[in-house]
Amino acid sequence: MSSERLKLAIGLLAACLIGAALPAAADDTPTVEQVQVTDPYIEMHTGPGRGFPVFFVAERREWISIELRHTDWYKVRTAGGQVGWVQRSQLASTLTAAGSVKTFRDVAFDDYLQRKLEMGAAWGRFKSEPMIKLFAAYRLGEGLRAEGTLGQVQGVFSGTDFWHLNLSSEPWADQRLSPYLSVGLGKFKNLPNTSLVGALPTDSNLANAALGLRWHLSERFVLRADYSIYTAFVSDGKTGEYRALSAGVSFFF
Amino acid sequence: MRLKASCPLILPFLVLATLPLAVQAQSTTTPNAQVIVPKVERREVPLPRIPSKDIEVGVFGGVYGSQNFGSSFVGGLRLGYHITEDFFVEGSYGQTKVSDKTFRDIFPGGGVFPSETETLKYYNVSAGYNVLPGEVFFGRNVAKASAFYLLGGVGSTDFNHQKKQTFNIGFGLRLLMSDRVAVRLDARDHIFTLDLLSKPVSTQNLELSAGVSYFF
Repeated sequence: MSSERLKLAIGLLAACLIGAALPAAADDTPTVEQVQVTDPYIEMHTGPGRGFPVFFVAERREWISIELRHTDWYKVRTAGGQVGWVQRSQLASTLTAAGSVKTFRDVAFDDYLQRKLEMGAAWGRFKSEPMIKLFAAYRLGEGLRAEGTLGQVQGVFSGTDFWHLNLSSEPWADQRLSPYLSVGLGKFKNLPNTSLVGALPTDSNLANAALGLRWHLSERFVLRADYSIYTAFVSDGKTGEYRALSAGVSFFF
Repeated sequence: MRLKASCPLILPFLVLATLPLAVQAQSTTTPNAQVIVPKVERREVPLPRIPSKDIEVGVFGGVYGSQNFGSSFVGGLRLGYHITEDFFVEGSYGQTKVSDKTFRDIFPGGGVFPSETETLKYYNVSAGYNVLPGEVFFGRNVAKASAFYLLGGVGSTDFNHQKKQTFNIGFGLRLLMSDRVAVRLDARDHIFTLDLLSKPVSTQNLELSAGVSYFF
């Protein structure tokens, strides 16, 4: 009987902890920033999209509090209690409660040169076989990025999975169209198709170097194309060299 | 005579007259000293922390119909990121069990798999486009934001000790029940090449699923 009570007590304690945690997660207005409208007016939509109708207009010098952000839309609440969604461009210049001008473009959406995390995918040919790559890059400094790539090559007789970690250098990173050079190390995993008789999967280390071109399409999307040389260290003294060409798209967080 | 009377007055005036000259002589020796040092403190303006809800996690369950091996229940997880109001990316992971029971029943000893049921796992990354965002209405008083979207992506299907590159294409409907919770209905076609049955053949495997996701 005491073990039953113990179980009940533990269950209640767990429920209490979960109950305490849930409202904290659902409460998304801990300290709300009050800003003052500086544009002649801001249009508040019923939802976070340009197709949603405008149902209220807040005028200049009205105090609004910003509660939530979803992509480029901010959910604001006026002093009178109206709640609606405003696009980022309309809140671009506001006055904070402290009275100093703060451009939202700098604060909430940094210049793309300052963006740290980028993710993307690319498609290409690896030694004339189709290849897909997924990559994530972290900006270490000016023109320097650390990138991790997962790739897959689908050949007729075998499939190859690979991954590699690269360091890439982009000397003219502030140009819209900029070249980059990247070197890295990783691993190959070669899986032959099961219908082949007696084929064994082979794993090997790889080294790669790539030369590419990035085109900053818009604030958040970047197109890229690159040409890579992969060297697979199959065994002592035996290496295989492969060329790959790919094109892809990535986005900034 | 008159001068004599005002003589004592002239002397202080002469002293006063020479004072500015003396002061000026002193100030020319330190021309770079600031007369007034401002004492304005730079105020630290705190940057606003606005909560956002761009990242989506969800679970889904449904039916996975493989081309050759019948349909089975599938379940999985999704992780998505909304880039703009139109585009989003999403990664999914799903698992199902396919069975070659039909082959074993029809042809004695004709099982294609080593055992009767095999686990099929797939994962993919897709890019989506919200084609028709809007609002849907439940009855008279309730309106919820919704979006009909198209998706396409690449991934891999792990099946019978093989990994096959898979393309997936599909569409779905997302209903935002509140600011943070959404209900989703998805239809996907997974396209991959299977060479189990003697020659490589491109298979289309349709999946219908429903799920719930949370935005944070």
